[in-house]
Amino acid sequence: MADEQKPGGSEAPLPAGGEAAGQPAKPSPPKPAAAPPKPPATMAATPWESDLARELKERFGGQIGETSTYLGQNFIVAKPEAAVPILEYLKLEADFDYLVDITAVDWPKRPERFDLVYIVYSFPRNERVRIKTQIPDGYKPETAVGVHLTANWLEREVFDMFGIEFAGHPDMRRILMPEEWQGYPLRKDYSIIQQDQRWVRENLGIESGQ
Amino acid sequence: MPDSTFLDSTELVLNMGPQHPSTHGVLRVILKLDGEKILGTDCVIGYLHRGVEKIAENRTWAQFNPYVDRMDYVASVSNGLGYCLAVEKLLNMEAPPRAQVVRVILTELNRIASHLVWLGTHALDIGAITPVFYCFREREEALNIFEKYCGARLTTHAFRIGGLQYDTYEGFEQDVKAFCDMFPPKVDEYEALLTGNRIWKGRLTNVGVLTADECKEYGVTGPLLRAAGVKWDLRKAQPYSGYEKYDFEIPIRQNGDTFDRYIVRMQEMRQAVRIIRQAVENIPEGPIMGKVAKVIKPPVGEAYVSIEAPKGELGYYVVSDGSTQPYRVRVRPPSFVNLQALDRMVRGGLVADIVAVIGTLDIVLGEVDR
Amino acid sequence: MSGGKIFRKIFLVDLFQGLAVTFRNQNPKYIVTEQYPAERPKVAERYRGAPRLNNNPDNGETLCIACNLCALACPENLIVVGSERNEQTRRKELTTFTYDLSRCMFCGLCEDACPVDALELTQDFELASYSRPGMIWDRQMLEEGPRPKQYKC
Repeated sequence: MADEQKPGGSEAPLPAGGEAAGQPAKPSPPKPAAAPPKPPATMAATPWESDLARELKERFGGQIGETSTYLGQNFIVAKPEAAVPILEYLKLEADFDYLVDITAVDWPKRPERFDLVYIVYSFPRNERVRIKTQIPDGYKPETAVGVHLTANWLEREVFDMFGIEFAGHPDMRRILMPEEWQGYPLRKDYSIIQQDQRWVRENLGIESGQ
Repeated sequence: MPDSTFLDSTELVLNMGPQHPSTHGVLRVILKLDGEKILGTDCVIGYLHRGVEKIAENRTWAQFNPYVDRMDYVASVSNGLGYCLAVEKLLNMEAPPRAQVVRVILTELNRIASHLVWLGTHALDIGAITPVFYCFREREEALNIFEKYCGARLTTHAFRIGGLQYDTYEGFEQDVKAFCDMFPPKVDEYEALLTGNRIWKGRLTNVGVLTADECKEYGVTGPLLRAAGVKWDLRKAQPYSGYEKYDFEIPIRQNGDTFDRYIVRMQEMRQAVRIIRQAVENIPEGPIMGKVAKVIKPPVGEAYVSIEAPKGELGYYVVSDGSTQPYRVRVRPPSFVNLQALDRMVRGGLVADIVAVIGTLDIVLGEVDR
Repeated sequence: MSGGKIFRKIFLVDLFQGLAVTFRNQNPKYIVTEQYPAERPKVAERYRGAPRLNNNPDNGETLCIACNLCALACPENLIVVGSERNEQTRRKELTTFTYDLSRCMFCGLCEDACPVDALELTQDFELASYSRPGMIWDRQMLEEGPRPKQYKC
C-alpha cells in the first residue's frame, strides 16, 4: 500500500541501537546504528481464509479485490461502489451490526488518492472487519447513513478533514472546522501551520493565528 | 398592533452553550422548542479542535504520545494505553508482564477518577451539590497516586510504547491497597446520597432512553450500551493488556435510561476496585520495557486497536509507511460517537432533561473535538 | 407534643448535635486546605515541573555534553542547544541552552532522553512570568532555577 517512501525516514538522525529500557547512566558516544532490516515497501498481508470471506467473494465477485489479514486483523479491499452494499450485506446477513468508524487516508501520489476505510464489528461473532476502498479526488462515494445511523457524523468528519463528499448524505456540512473554512486539513498537501488566512482575518480580527 | 407576536408562535429556537456550565465544556446545542417540549436539536462542535490527528503526522511515534493525553483529559491514562497498544500492535510486540499489570492498575484507577468526575458534575447539573465535593475528595487520592508514580496528575504521559518509563515507586502497592480499602465505603456513601433519593430517581428515571438496538444503530458504546442490556465490554470481548486474567463482572441494566446508566457506572467503579485488588496483589517482577528500538520505525502496515475507555470504545487506527513518523493516526473517540445519539435521546422530551442527558452521556469535549 | 420533644426544643439538643459534627471535623487530621503562598505544598518526588540544567556538584561544571538528544526528543521543538568544539580537549562544549517554557507541556521526554542526567524536570512549579520573553529560559536561568518571591504571614 505504501507506494512511496517518505523522505522523513532519515530526517531525525537519532542514534539508534540499544533499548529504550532504563536510563543510560553514563555518557556514551552515539553508537553507529546497527543497520535495521529494510522494511518491505508494502504491507505484508496474508490472504484471509474464512467462510465469511468466501461468502463475500461469491456474493460480490469482482467487486472485491482482496480479502486479507494483517496482524490478525481482517480487511477487504473493494470497489468504491461496492462499499455500501457490502456494509448492508454484512449487517443483514452476517450480523455486523455496529459500524465502528469511517475514516480516510490520503496518498497524494496515487491516482486513486484516498483510502476510505470502514470498520465494522459484530456483537454476536465478536469479530472486526475493515472495508477499504480506493477513490480518486472528487469522487463522491455513496453515503452509509441508510445502513448505519452512526455514519452521519463520521462521514461529516471525513468530508471536513479530507473533502470527500458523500452522495445522498442528509446533512453534508463541516463538523469540526468552521463552516466557511477553506481547505481540508488532513490532506497531505495541507501543511501543519497552514490556515485559512481570510477566515482568520475576518472572524478573529488578527492577521495570523501563528 | 402586529397580527402576531413571538408569543403566538409555537416554535422557539434556543441556543444552549458554548459557555453553558452544564454542557461540560464548549458544546453548543441549538434547541428547537415548542413550549417545554424539544422538537429537535443540532449540536455544534469543534470549539476545542486542535488537530490532534494532523499533529500526529508531524511528530515521531514516541513524540505523539503526550498529545493523546490531551484528548480525554479526565481519562488520560486510558488514552495513552490505547495509543501504546496500537503502536505495539504495529510493531507486533507486547509489553512485558510487569508493565501490563501496572498499566491495568493505573488504567482502572483512572476509570474510577473519570467516573468520579462524571458523577460529581452530573449530580451538580441536576441540582445535588454535595456529591461533587465528595467525588473530588476521592479523586484526589487517585490523582496523588498518579503524581507519585509519573509526576503529573492530569496529563500523565504514564506509558511509553513498549512498556513503562517509570517503575513503581516505593510504597506504590501500599498506596493502591489503601485506596482500595478506602474507596468502596465511599461509593456506599454516594449511593446513600443518591440511589434511593426520590428527587434523583424522579429526575432520572425514563429520561433519555436509548434501547439496545438504538445503541447499536448509533454506535453507542460503554456504560450507555451496558445500561441498555447489552453485556459487552472490550475488556472481556477482546481482552488486552492481560485483562483476561482478572475476575470481574460486567454490570448491566435493562431500561437504558439515565438512572440505569448511573447504576451501571457506580457498579463499574466497584468492579474497577476489584480488578485493582487482584492486580496489585501479584505484580510480577521483571523488566518494565520491552525490546523497542530508540527510534521507533514500525513496518509498513496498518492496525486498528481499541480499548474500553471509561466512556466507551476508544480506537486508534494507525497507518505506518515505515518511517519514523506516523503516516496517519485516526482516533475513534467514544464521546464523539456517543454525542451523536443526543438528538434521539432528548427529542420529544422536556427542555429540563437535556441537562441530565448531556450529563449522562459523559462527554469530554477535548475528545469530541480533538 | 411529647415530653421528649419539648426537652429537645428547650435545651437545643439538635443544635448541639449539629455543632458536634462541625467540631468533630475540625480535628487537624481532617484539614485538607493548604495555606498556599505561606506554606508551599509538597509535590511528589517525580513531579515534572520547571526544567533544570544540572551542574557537577564537585567542580561546578555543567553535566551537559551538548549531545542535542533532548532537542530531538522534544515534541514541541522548544529546546535549542548551542555548542562549540573545544580544540584543546577535542570535545563538544555547551555554549548556550534555551528552553521555551511557554510551549512546554511537561511530558518529560527530554529528561528521559538525556544520557547524563543533566536536564531534569524538578519540583518547582511557580513559573509565571510577566512577559512572553520571560518564559524563554536561558542557560543561566536553567542552572539557577526559578526564584519565586516567598511570602510570609
